[in-house]
Amino acid sequence: MADAVQPISGTNKPFPASSKPFAPEDETALREALKRCSPSTFEAAIQFRKTCNPEHLPAVVIGVIERFVEPDLRVKLKDADDDLRLIEDLGIDSLTMMEIVILVEDVLQMSINNDELRNLRTVGDVKMFIDCKVRGLPLPKPTKFLPIEQIAAIMPIQPPFLFLNEASVSSSGANAKYKITGQEFFLQGHFKDNPIMPASIMLEALGQLGVLFLLEGIVTEPGKIVSPATIFFTGCEGVRAHRLCRPGDILTLSIKPKRMKMPLATFEGAIRVGQEKAAIAEEITLTFGYSEAFAPPPVVNGVEHSAVNGVEVGSPTPLRAAVNA
Amino acid sequence: MPKVFITGLGFITSIGNDATSVTRSLRELRHGFELYPPFQSPEIPVKVAAPVRGFRLDSTDPEDWTFPAPYKIKREIVRGMAPHGIYAWCAMQQAIEDARLTEDDVSNATTGLYAASGGSPQLMGHMLQRMHTLGVMKCSPLGIVASISGTVNFNLVAHFKIKGTSCGFSSACASSSHALGFAYDDLVLGRQKRMFVVGAEDGNLDAILPFAGMRALSLQTDPNVASRPFDANRDGFVGTGGGVVLVLETEDEVARRGAKVYCEVAGWGQASDGHNVAISHPEGLGLRAAIENALRFTQTPVDAVDYINAHATSTPIGDESEAKALKAIFKTPAARPAISSTKALTGHGLSLAGAMESGFCALAIRDGFMPGSAHITQLDPGCEGLNIIRSTLSAQPHVVLNNVSGFGGANVCLVFKKA
Repeated sequence: MADAVQPISGTNKPFPASSKPFAPEDETALREALKRCSPSTFEAAIQFRKTCNPEHLPAVVIGVIERFVEPDLRVKLKDADDDLRLIEDLGIDSLTMMEIVILVEDVLQMSINNDELRNLRTVGDVKMFIDCKVRGLPLPKPTKFLPIEQIAAIMPIQPPFLFLNEASVSSSGANAKYKITGQEFFLQGHFKDNPIMPASIMLEALGQLGVLFLLEGIVTEPGKIVSPATIFFTGCEGVRAHRLCRPGDILTLSIKPKRMKMPLATFEGAIRVGQEKAAIAEEITLTFGYSEAFAPPPVVNGVEHSAVNGVEVGSPTPLRAAVNA
Repeated sequence: MPKVFITGLGFITSIGNDATSVTRSLRELRHGFELYPPFQSPEIPVKVAAPVRGFRLDSTDPEDWTFPAPYKIKREIVRGMAPHGIYAWCAMQQAIEDARLTEDDVSNATTGLYAASGGSPQLMGHMLQRMHTLGVMKCSPLGIVASISGTVNFNLVAHFKIKGTSCGFSSACASSSHALGFAYDDLVLGRQKRMFVVGAEDGNLDAILPFAGMRALSLQTDPNVASRPFDANRDGFVGTGGGVVLVLETEDEVARRGAKVYCEVAGWGQASDGHNVAISHPEGLGLRAAIENALRFTQTPVDAVDYINAHATSTPIGDESEAKALKAIFKTPAARPAISSTKALTGHGLSLAGAMESGFCALAIRDGFMPGSAHITQLDPGCEGLNIIRSTLSAQPHVVLNNVSGFGGANVCLVFKKA
C-alpha cells in the first residue's frame, strides 16, 4: 500500500504525477483498495493507471461513489444523469465524501484539498472536477442551486406563469424541476375534462430555464451583466413531444448551451418525467443584452415551424410574450 | 427522594448474548473461556480469554465485520464505531426492546445516557500506524470517534438520538459503576426521568494483552481454571469484552408506562484508596469506605445484605484486599452475606465490569438466585470467615451489593433491592 500512495503536493498538475510505470505491486494495491467496488470499476482504474486516458475516469469515479452509497440507493446511480445530487439523492454526507476522496486520491494518485470539495454537489460536479484535476485544467465554477424563492427573485417571469420549482445552474447547463399541480389556470381548458400540460408551455418552461441560465451569467462575458429586461424568445427547432404530461407529473427539465454570442444564446433542451422522455428541442434561441447596453431586442425571422401536439409553436410572438411576462 | 428502578437490560457478553442465556450461564456456572486463537502463538504467554461469540469484529476494516442475524447496522453507523461500539449498540437494542420503550421514550429531553469504555486500542493503533506510514491525510475520517475513550457515548447518543444528559466515565474498571451511580443521582435529583447506562470493551488482543506487562493476566492454559477468584492458586485475571446496557427509570416513569421492573437501585457509595496508581490498598481501605458509604446512604443495616457480587478479578493482591474489606464490615455471624465473583465465569470486563455485574445482580433479584463463585478448588485462607458460595443458591436475595475497584484506587459500591 505504502508504495502505491505518493500524493501530489500543490495544485493542479497534469497526470501522471509520478513517472513511475505501473508495476505489478501497484495492481495488487489497487485491487485491495477497490475490493468493495464493482469489477468494472477496477478494470477502468487499471486502464486509467496504465494509459492515463481520462475516458476511463467517469467509470472509476462512479464506481467509487457507488461503493459508499447504501445498497438500496445504488439503483439511482445505474442510469445516473450528471444532475444526481450527492447529499439529497444519494445520502452522502460530508464524512462519506471524505471517504470517497481518500479512495479516489489513492486510486488516481492525486491529492485533493478540502476547500476544493465544498462545491461538489452533483455526480456531474465530481466527474468534471476529477477530469479537470487529471488534465490540469482550471476547475469549473460550482453548480449553483436555486430554490423557488431565489428563482422568482431573479426572473422577469413571475407566477402564475413561472414553470420552474427549483433549478441548478452550472457552466455546462441548467436543470430544473416543475411539478404539474393541476391548479394551473390553462389546464381548465386544455383540454375539456382532460387536463394535459400544453406542449407550448413545456417549451416555455425550457425557455425560462434558458433565461435563468443567462441571468446567472456563468458563461457570458466577464464583468457584463445580462439585463432581465433584454431577454426574449426568438426561435426554436426540432421540437418533439413524446409523452402526455398530466397533473402530478414532475417534469425534469435540462438545457445545455450550444452557441453563446451576444445577442443570441442557443440551447438544446429536454424534458423527462422520471426516466421517460417527455419532450425535446434541438435548439431554443433567446436574444439577450447587457445591462449598460440595453437595446430593444432584434426580431429574428425565419424560425421554422414545428408542430407539437397539434399546437403551433413556431411563431415567436406568443412565447416571446410568455418569456417576457 | 424518588425511587429508581432497573426496567430494561441488554447483554452481549462472553456468557451469552441475551438475558436468557446469561441467566442460564450464571445459574449453571457455565464459563465463557477458551484458548483464544489470536493468543496461540509461541511469543504470547497468555493463552485464555473470554471472547464474545457470534460476532466477527477482528478486522481493522469495519466493513469486514459481521454480526448475528437479528442485528442490522448501516455502514454509515458502523464506520464510526469500535468493536465494543457494536456490542453496545446491540445491547442497547435489547435493552430498549426489553423495557418496551418507544422512540419518543428514548429521544427526549429527560432521557440521558452515561457510558464507559476504555476506547479501542486496536483501532487507535491501526489509525496511528496508517498515519505514520501513509501520511496524515490518510487517517480514516472517523478514526478518532471510533477509537478514543468516549466512542461509545459519542455513537450511541448520536444514533439513538439521545437528547438528555450524556457523558463518558473514565475510571478504568470502576467506570461503568460510576456511570450507574451518577445516573442514579441525576434521577433522584429530578434532572432526568430515564437513563441508559452502558459499559463496553473490545476484549480483543490489543485490549487485553497490554495488561500482561503489569503481570495482571493469568498465564493458565486450561480455560477451566484460568479465572478462579478467591482460590489460593489464582494467578491473574482473564480478559473479556462485550457490551451491557441498563435502563434506569424513576418511580413516576415506571408508573406512567406501567413498566416491569427487575429491582430497585437503592443508591451507591464511593471512596478512593489514595494509595497506588495500579495496586489496590493492601487492607482494602478505599473499598471498605465505599461499601460503608453505600450502606449508610441507603440506610441498609449490615445484616440485611443477602448477596455481594464481588469485584474479585482473580489477581493475588486484588482479591485479598477485597476480602479484607468485606471481613472488616461483615463481622458477625448474623451478617454473613453470600459472596461470589462472577468473573470466574466471564473474566474481567474492565470498564464493562460494573454495568455487566449490576445486570447480573438485577437478573439474580428478579429470578431469585445467587450465582456461585466458580472454579475454587482450594479457598484462599485469607477468605476464611467469608460466606463465599461455591455453587448457585436458589434463594431470593432482597439486598444485593456490587463492588468494583479501578486504577488509581477508585472504588464504587452499588446497592440493589428487591422491588
